[in-house]
Amino acid sequence: MKRFFVLTAAVLLFATQVPAEAAMSAGEIVHRANLASYYGGDDGKAKVKMTITDSQGRKRIREFIILRRDETDGGDQKFYVYFRKPSDVRKMVFMVHKHVNGDDDRWLYLPKLDLVKRIAASDKRTSFVGSNFFYEDVSGRGENEDTHKLVQETDDHYVIENVPKDPATVEFASYKVWIRKKDFMPEKAEYTDKQGRVYRVVEALEIKEIQGIPTVTKSRVRDLNSGGETVSEFTGIRYNIGLKGSIFTERYLRRPPREARR
Amino acid sequence: MGASRFLSLAINRPRVVTAVMVVVSLVLAALMVRVKVDTDPENMLSPTERVRVFHNQMKKEFDLNDYVVLGVVNEKDPDGVFNPETLKKVHELTEFAKTLRDPDDPERRVIARNIIAPGTVDAIEQAGLGQVKFNWLMAEPPATRKEAARVRDLAMGNPLLKGTLVSEDGRAIGIYIPVSQKDFAATVRKALLKKIASFDNANGDQFHITGLPVAEDTFGEEMFIQMAISAPGAMICIFVLMFIFFRQVKMIIAPMIVAMMSVMCSMGLLIGSGFTLHIMSSMIPIFLMPIAVVDSIHILSEFFDSYQKIGDRKKTIEHVMDELFMPMLYTSLTSAAGFASLAVTPIPPVQAFGIFVAIGIMIAWLFTVTFVPAYIMMMKEESLADFGVAADAPDDHSFMARHLAWLGTITYRRAKLLLLATVAILGVAVYGISLININDNPVKWFTPKHPIRVADRVLNKHFGGTYEAYLVVEPESAVADTRAALLAAIDRLAAAGEVGKESAAAARKLASSVDGGADGYLARATAAFEEKLDQVPDAEYDDWALIADLPGEIKAQAQVFKRPDVLRYISKLQDYLASHAVVGKSNSLADVVKKVHKELFAGDPKHYTIPDTSGAVAECLISFQNSHKPDDLFHLVTPDYRKLNIWLQLKNGDNQDMEQVVSQVEQYFNDNPPPVKLKHEWAGLTYLNVVWQDKMVTGMLNSFLSSFAVVLVMMVILFRSFWWGLLSMVPLTVTIGFIYGVIGLVGKDYDMPVAVLSSLTLGMAVDFAIHFLERSRMVYKKTGSWKESVGQMFAEPARAITRNVIVIAIGFTPLLLAPLVPYQTVGVFLASIMAVSGIGTMFILPSLVTVFERFLFRKGKTETMEA
Repeated sequence: MKRFFVLTAAVLLFATQVPAEAAMSAGEIVHRANLASYYGGDDGKAKVKMTITDSQGRKRIREFIILRRDETDGGDQKFYVYFRKPSDVRKMVFMVHKHVNGDDDRWLYLPKLDLVKRIAASDKRTSFVGSNFFYEDVSGRGENEDTHKLVQETDDHYVIENVPKDPATVEFASYKVWIRKKDFMPEKAEYTDKQGRVYRVVEALEIKEIQGIPTVTKSRVRDLNSGGETVSEFTGIRYNIGLKGSIFTERYLRRPPREARR
Repeated sequence: MGASRFLSLAINRPRVVTAVMVVVSLVLAALMVRVKVDTDPENMLSPTERVRVFHNQMKKEFDLNDYVVLGVVNEKDPDGVFNPETLKKVHELTEFAKTLRDPDDPERRVIARNIIAPGTVDAIEQAGLGQVKFNWLMAEPPATRKEAARVRDLAMGNPLLKGTLVSEDGRAIGIYIPVSQKDFAATVRKALLKKIASFDNANGDQFHITGLPVAEDTFGEEMFIQMAISAPGAMICIFVLMFIFFRQVKMIIAPMIVAMMSVMCSMGLLIGSGFTLHIMSSMIPIFLMPIAVVDSIHILSEFFDSYQKIGDRKKTIEHVMDELFMPMLYTSLTSAAGFASLAVTPIPPVQAFGIFVAIGIMIAWLFTVTFVPAYIMMMKEESLADFGVAADAPDDHSFMARHLAWLGTITYRRAKLLLLATVAILGVAVYGISLININDNPVKWFTPKHPIRVADRVLNKHFGGTYEAYLVVEPESAVADTRAALLAAIDRLAAAGEVGKESAAAARKLASSVDGGADGYLARATAAFEEKLDQVPDAEYDDWALIADLPGEIKAQAQVFKRPDVLRYISKLQDYLASHAVVGKSNSLADVVKKVHKELFAGDPKHYTIPDTSGAVAECLISFQNSHKPDDLFHLVTPDYRKLNIWLQLKNGDNQDMEQVVSQVEQYFNDNPPPVKLKHEWAGLTYLNVVWQDKMVTGMLNSFLSSFAVVLVMMVILFRSFWWGLLSMVPLTVTIGFIYGVIGLVGKDYDMPVAVLSSLTLGMAVDFAIHFLERSRMVYKKTGSWKESVGQMFAEPARAITRNVIVIAIGFTPLLLAPLVPYQTVGVFLASIMAVSGIGTMFILPSLVTVFERFLFRKGKTETMEA
């Protein structure tokens, strides 16, 4: 997975100063970056505020609490997203069981319609609740879905170019990721379309150490085609809070646990 | 008087006069290189016009574009267009369209992200009970017929796509290609045609390209070709006819030069002063040329008839100019006044057209009275030797002369009968005028066989319609006092026991302390509540979580277009419009909500409804935003859910059809009061056309009435008699009545060129009357009897008028070959106007004079103007 900075990206990282080895393979760099951005701690929680700004400067807000629990480091994970804003979708829940081998399971709970919606395995490069982030940004893109190439190495960064193995399933032709050498945090990703133009940029605007874990606390996606962008700000980040596995079940969609509400 | 001063200069310094004219014309003509073409009918409205400002504001607010519509049709394949081969072409064309941009101007391009095509829209799919997925309708072209059929079924299952992207019969796919600027549309069309030419279409695939921006932009390109062919064609025709009348190439070159120089000067002035070359102004040469040659023909005709009698070119020209100077000045002034009156219309291109034709007429007059005599003076006397009718060859031998003489007798003997016939014709004309159909449609500016017209017919047969109009609806009242609403909401929570009394009291205090300034109160209250929420102990947390949501809930109440009752109302409006023939299809937020609601409930058609609470509507909408293109929602509603856009597809772009839809909507709003007070307004190119057309009709009527009044006053001054002045207005009144009566009777739509023709009629018809009456009075003075005068009038003066009529009427027939309808219209009507006003002048005026002879020639009524 090289889909970095996503909301979750922000959330966890297992700490880490990995000594920079010479001649690390591109695949290995990507793997470490994936761990750094999606697997901090054994579990974690953050309050996320997304500000979606369109090309006319009109803003929309999404606010939610995200809980994450790793089954195994670098392996399967579970996410629970509880919406607070806008107020008319309050209590809406989005849950993912991410499977490294095989399709993810996704659920959406719509309280006003009283509907638990199981989302079929489908395109993950669709919008996450109207923002410029994709679903895939939330749960991560499979490391094996692209071929990786180290195209540049600066004093501080590895620059990896990623080309999809199945171009028909994605809207990009390739994307480049700038990964910090010191902690393998991805700082920027640029997506190039079939005409060779960069049309989408994902950036970590702020990375802080929380409980000793480098964590993205502010990230941004810019859609250069539409002129819109989404900024995510992460507050109240905590790692290793002992989330129970039972929270991440269908039963809890209708009755959000206390951890999700506060 | 003026005539002699002009004349002496022209006669004594012919070369200087000529040189000055040529130099001035060339300098002004050089300005034409700065030409900027503007074929956008939108510019028929001033940029500050309210409806246009609104249209552009809505385009921006809803991110709407003008579309090039590319239709792919297959009538041959059993599966229509849904076969792998055709879909592969659809895919290729979509990908190709995405890449189109002007290499020199990044602002001119196809807006790739807003293309509507099978490859760029989402299918909202069912994947078993309780499961919904968003997938591209056609990410890649299908390999098998079975897969192709699946694409069809998915598209048909989405009411937003059916009738827009796919035709209901499955025989056509529409690709809607948005362009950033309308003037890029013709380029897009050409690029697509080139790409299409590379396909093998043996399987029966047809491709059609239309849409208003294509029609408008393509028209601009063809307009140039048209001008380059018709205007010179007309020149040649006039030249040939004049040669038949005068048999002297040297002589008739003069009027041609006058016409050409006048056109060069006026076009140079127009372009040089920064005006764009609009469809209206492109017609200036065509209007100006006949008017410019008219006076020269009068001079030549008179010269032609007098030269052999007088025998000296200088004396002849002095004699001719003496007789014609004042009539020519007045005819030019009246024609100019007729066109200048267009400046009172509220339509900028028509104003520019009127003013510059008026200027051109005065330039032509100046050139005529200076250059034509100068030109005659520069010719050797010997070369005039055989010019004109020899004095010993009586006039009445030629065909024309014999018939005119006969006509003269008729008008004298059968005056009352002729007048009766005129009144009868006018009666029929008035009936015809009552039938006039005011209508226009830029696509119909092309002839029926033009590919754009064909495309228009084929695609509107298959789809909901290629003409867009936008109905924008919003609540009448602004958001109410938000602080009072918030305090009331806190009280309600407390009263319902949902929050503790202490929390409620603290919340009231906090809400009251927040700055209540006009905007953003709720945002500030939200921030204050949330800060509090972060601080309160666990015991009070749930209270404050509820309280902190209140500002958002109040805000949500203001989101009128999430209300189920309002959406149902809108949905019914759409059903009402669909029940009438004009609107082929409409799309609104209500359709999105219904479609998503249905899919959330396992695709059950019973759930193709608006859910019962605004929270449930909000959940449908947020579900929709999980698609590839969540922003598509904001083409239909603003993010604050207080402004709604209903996208109407019309099958026909005729203004009449649009007007019908507008009145249906008014009817609906009147008969069905909405749940909240709503106001509505229109945008979209189809609607804009209606607005300017409306202004055109009333504007033209006003301008015609005012110029009629101005010309009448001028005539009264010219003839120093109210009755003679009134008399001179008779032929043009009859001509206009007749022409517009015929337009009504034959069912020709009253459109832009037809509207402008009233001014031309005024200018031309009054010319003949002035010449005829002024000369009549001169002759009467000499003869003292109308009976004798008639005989003389139907000699040379009548011949001049007849020659004018024939030259101009036939001279403009090349316009009939034009592939563009407005030019054909102008050609046909120019010829008819000339014929009718010429005939009218020669029949009606002498008949009237005959009947009212005693009254008109009372003592003191007969001085001529140049006294």
